[in-house]
Amino acid sequence: MNGRASGAPSREPQRIIAVLAAVASSILLLFLAAPIGQLIGAGGAEGIRRLGTDAELRQALALTATTATAATVLGVLGGTPLAYLLARREFRGRAVLSAVLDLPLLIPHPVAGIALLLLLGRDSVLGGTLISAGLRVVGTPLGIVAAMLFVAAPLFISGAREAFAKVDPRYEAVARTLGDSPLRAFLRVTLPLSRRGLIASSVVMWARAVSEFGAIVVLTYNPKVASVLSYDRFTGFGLEEALPVAAVLALLALIPLTALRTLRGADDGAAR
Amino acid sequence: MIECQGLSARHGTFRLAEVTFTVPTGQYGVVIGPAGSGKTTLLETIAGVVPATAGTLRLNGRDCTATEPEARGLSLVYQHAFLFPHLSVAHNIAYGAASSEQAEAVARRFGADALTGRPVRALSGGERQLVALARAFARRPAVVLLDEPFSALDPRRRTIVRREVRNLHREWGLTTLHVTHDFTEAGLLGDVAVLLDEGRALQWGAPEEVFRRPASPYIAEFLGAENVLAGTVRVLAEEAPDWLEGEPAPIAHGYRAIEFTTGALVLYTVGDYPLGTGYAVIRAEEIVLSLEPPAGSARNRFRGVVAELATLGALTRVTVDVAGVPLVASLTTRSAKELALKVGTDVTASFKAMAVHLC
Repeated sequence: MNGRASGAPSREPQRIIAVLAAVASSILLLFLAAPIGQLIGAGGAEGIRRLGTDAELRQALALTATTATAATVLGVLGGTPLAYLLARREFRGRAVLSAVLDLPLLIPHPVAGIALLLLLGRDSVLGGTLISAGLRVVGTPLGIVAAMLFVAAPLFISGAREAFAKVDPRYEAVARTLGDSPLRAFLRVTLPLSRRGLIASSVVMWARAVSEFGAIVVLTYNPKVASVLSYDRFTGFGLEEALPVAAVLALLALIPLTALRTLRGADDGAAR
Repeated sequence: MIECQGLSARHGTFRLAEVTFTVPTGQYGVVIGPAGSGKTTLLETIAGVVPATAGTLRLNGRDCTATEPEARGLSLVYQHAFLFPHLSVAHNIAYGAASSEQAEAVARRFGADALTGRPVRALSGGERQLVALARAFARRPAVVLLDEPFSALDPRRRTIVRREVRNLHREWGLTTLHVTHDFTEAGLLGDVAVLLDEGRALQWGAPEEVFRRPASPYIAEFLGAENVLAGTVRVLAEEAPDWLEGEPAPIAHGYRAIEFTTGALVLYTVGDYPLGTGYAVIRAEEIVLSLEPPAGSARNRFRGVVAELATLGALTRVTVDVAGVPLVASLTTRSAKELALKVGTDVTASFKAMAVHLC
C-alpha cells in the first residue's frame, strides 16, 4: 500500500479535466464572439452615423424590421397551436410532424428559397392562383415574409413546444375541474405559465428572420432587406461599403436578444 | 354518487382495468393501495382529465363517462396542490368559486384566509394543501376527489383539517373519494373503502369489512394483517355448529362449521369457503393472551411460548410460538405489563371462531 489512503480518489485528474474544459470553452466562446465583436467594432459607429444620411440603408432596415415582425406574428399565430399539440398530445404521426417542422432548419437556405419559388412562383398552381387574386408574392415584401417565415418559424415552434412541455398538465387538469373549458384553461393557466418561454422563442424567431439572406435573395432580391443590401454593397463596392450595413444589421439582431436575456436574468433574480 | 362500472383508462403506459365500485350519494369513499397502483389515475379518470377507454362512470345518477371535466360538477385536489403560481393565494381560492363570499368563507374554515397576503411560491407544502382544499371546496361541488390532501400537514393540523373536510362533506351532502396511504385515516373517514392494486379494484365495501374480511392473502398482508396462515379447509358440519352459541346471529344462516389445519394448529371457524387449500387471516387485536386457559367462549385456544415482544407506545405486539406456528397478538402495553410477559413466558392465545377469516 502506498502513502495515500485507499478509497480517497486523487483530485489531480479532476483538475486537469476542469482546466481542459475551461480552455476548450474559452476558445469556442472567443470564436463565436470575436467576429461579431470585430464587425460591430469596425463598422458599428459608421453604420449608426449613416442611418442619418443613407436613405437606402434606412429603408432596408425598416423593411427588414417590418417583414420580420410580420413573419413572427404569423409564426406565433400558426406555431402556437402546433407547438401545444406536439407538447401535449400523443398521436400517430407525431414524430413525422416533428421531423417536417424541423426540415427548414436542416436544408440550405438557398434551397429553401428555390423550394418556395417552386411553390409560390407564377408558374405554380398556388402562385398563379394568388397572382390572379391580385396577390403577388415573388419579388415583393410578401416573398420576404414567406422566406423569413419558412426558415425561422421552426425555431419558434421548437421553443414554444419546450415551454409548453415545462408546464405540468395537471395545472390544466385542475383548471378544467374548476370549470374552465380547454381554451379558457389554456388562456388563464398554460399561456401565463409558459409566457417567458413563448416570448423568448418569438424573439429568437424575429432575430433569425432579421438575419435571413439565402432564401430571401432567391425569392425577393428587390426591394432589399438589410442582409441583401449588405451583400449587394459587398459585391458592388467592396468590404468598406458593406461593413456599416452589416454592423447595423448585427446590432438589430443582437439588441432584442440581449434585452431578453437581461430581462430574464432580472426576472429570475426577482423570483428567487 | 360515484358509480364506476368496468371503468378502464390508459395513462402513458399505465392501465386502469375494469374498475367497479360505488360510493353512494353523501358517503365518503377512501381508495387505498400500494404506490403505483393507479389511485391518482382513478381520480383523474373520474375527473375526466384522463379519458375512459371502456366501462361507464355515473356521477349522481348521470352518465358522465364522456362528459368534459368542467361539466362533471366535481373538484379535484392533488397531493402536490398545483396552485397556480402566477396568481395570488386569494385568486387561487376564488378561481372556480361559486361566489367571492363562498371563497372567503371556505378559506376561513381551512385557515387559508391567513395566507392570502403571501405569494404562492412562498407557501410551504402544508400551506399549499390548505389553499388547494379551499380552492376545491369554494367551487361548492357535488363530488370531491382528494388525492392524499393532508400528506404535507403536521399531525395537529392534519386532525383539524380532516375534521373540517368531514364536516363540509356532511353539511353539504357531498360525495367524496379520498386517496390515502393511511389506514387510520381510511378507517376514520371512510364509509366505503376501495382497495386498488395494479390498476384493478381488488375489493371494495365497508372499511370494517375490507379490513376484517380481506378477499385474498395479498390484501390481508397489504392491510397489515399480522397472521396470514396457509392451510387446508375441511367442513365439519353443513349447518351452524353447536359452538356458535353466543356468536352474532346472522352468521348461523347457511354457514358451515369449518376446520382449518395449518402446520400443527387446527383452527375452527364458520363460513362458506370451499374445500381445499386456502388462507386464514386473524388480526392481532382479535387474539387474547392469558397466563391460564381463559374461561370465556373462545373456540380457538392454544398454549404457546412468548417468542418476541415489541412495544409501540400504548400497544405491545407479542409473538407467541404455538407448536412452531408464530401467532402475533396486539394488546395494550399496560396489559402486557400486568401479565409480566417476557420472552419464554408460557401463555394461552385464544380467539373466537368469528375472528378467523378464510380467503
